[in-house]
Amino acid sequence: MSEALERSLDRLSRVRGVRGSMFVAADDGLVVGQLLMEGVNGKAVAALAASLARKVGGAAAATGAGQLSFVQVEATAGTLLLAPAAGDLLVVALAEPQVNVGLCRLEMMRAAEAVR
Amino acid sequence: MAEDIRALSAALAGNPASLVYADLAEALRRRGDLEQALRVAKHGVARHPEHADGLDCLGRVYSDLGDLARAAEAWGRALALAPEHVGALKGMGFALYRRGDARGAEEMLARAVAVSPRDEAARRALETVRRAFDAAPLPPAPSADVREAPVPARAAPSPPSSPSPAESAYQPEQREAPHRGGTGAAEPAPAAASPDSEAGPTGAGSPETVAALPPVFEGFEGATADILLLDDRGLVVAGGLRGGDGRDVSELAAAALAGVSGEAGRTARYLALGEWRTIVAEAADANLVLAPVGAGAMLLVRRDRSMPVGLTLRVAERARGAASLWLERQGA
Repeated sequence: MSEALERSLDRLSRVRGVRGSMFVAADDGLVVGQLLMEGVNGKAVAALAASLARKVGGAAAATGAGQLSFVQVEATAGTLLLAPAAGDLLVVALAEPQVNVGLCRLEMMRAAEAVR
Repeated sequence: MAEDIRALSAALAGNPASLVYADLAEALRRRGDLEQALRVAKHGVARHPEHADGLDCLGRVYSDLGDLARAAEAWGRALALAPEHVGALKGMGFALYRRGDARGAEEMLARAVAVSPRDEAARRALETVRRAFDAAPLPPAPSADVREAPVPARAAPSPPSSPSPAESAYQPEQREAPHRGGTGAAEPAPAAASPDSEAGPTGAGSPETVAALPPVFEGFEGATADILLLDDRGLVVAGGLRGGDGRDVSELAAAALAGVSGEAGRTARYLALGEWRTIVAEAADANLVLAPVGAGAMLLVRRDRSMPVGLTLRVAERARGAASLWLERQGA
């Protein structure tokens, strides 16, 4: 992973409440690069995030919303954030429920830009 | 019930040509043994292709299996043989309603009520259908002498038949509601067609499809064009969604969205995130908010990108409240 990508993950992981951030190959759900807190299963997060992104992407197309740019899954005990990036990658962040989603989103968009 | 099934099975084994197959299939269906019920009903109907009760039973089994197209075909055959068959009329009314044809459903249910005015289930179903498109309310409940009211249907006489499982056992309330699996306990589902229905080659319904759905989101902007309530099997429950060209894409969207709900649940469980509450999807042409509504139902709110995501979330929260209240009122 390039230095620019590492830096972008580092910035994302510094957002309060973020437990892990990663670049994931969207087609097979494999980890490309990651920065995780202890106890976070990176492989599982990557695989599930890629699968969910495919489903939500299909739904967005079916509903006429077009191509995805950001997905936020809010659950009772945490939040999963996804942002498609160039090269068929996904930027993924796993966070606490109270995370500042706006700030995360900005950092994830920046990370997605860094892939170009 | 197990004893009934044993007795009916023995009777059928003793006389394979007996019409008791319809009762046996109905008993199996009620027990939830749908595959076995289908085998028995299909076998019986193949042997007795002009047995309206058997065809009605076959329709109910297909309906419980979620195959509404085949169910409608079976009920249609039953009605061709016996135009006053109450079970088939109610079944066909249900199928048409699920297909989004509220007016066709009303015609069938009105015929059922005319044939059997004391059938409360048929009356309630008819009222539900009429409410769906703001038709005139039913007149007061008819008295016993109205039972002989003329039926606005084909005048062909019904062939003699065995005691009808449709009339002795089946009631439309026992058909599944759109947000449930198996046999539920609701009025005919206020929903449009299932993805495999005959709404059109692309799965898109007619403009009437949306108009016929219950006005759950009345007062919301885009109540029938940008807000959709669906069940976890991908069936439309209320609201509606239109594509950029104005066509109704509710069914297509519902089918695609059902998979999202399951995937979100799986992801949240595996990652120990608890229960998922909302999914916000920002996309090139619109933003989407998905939210579960009770068990087995999900809401979609679509808004133009010009509306801030935070505001879309608030709209979705209000719509979820409206949907939840409406589902409660339906007893769902």
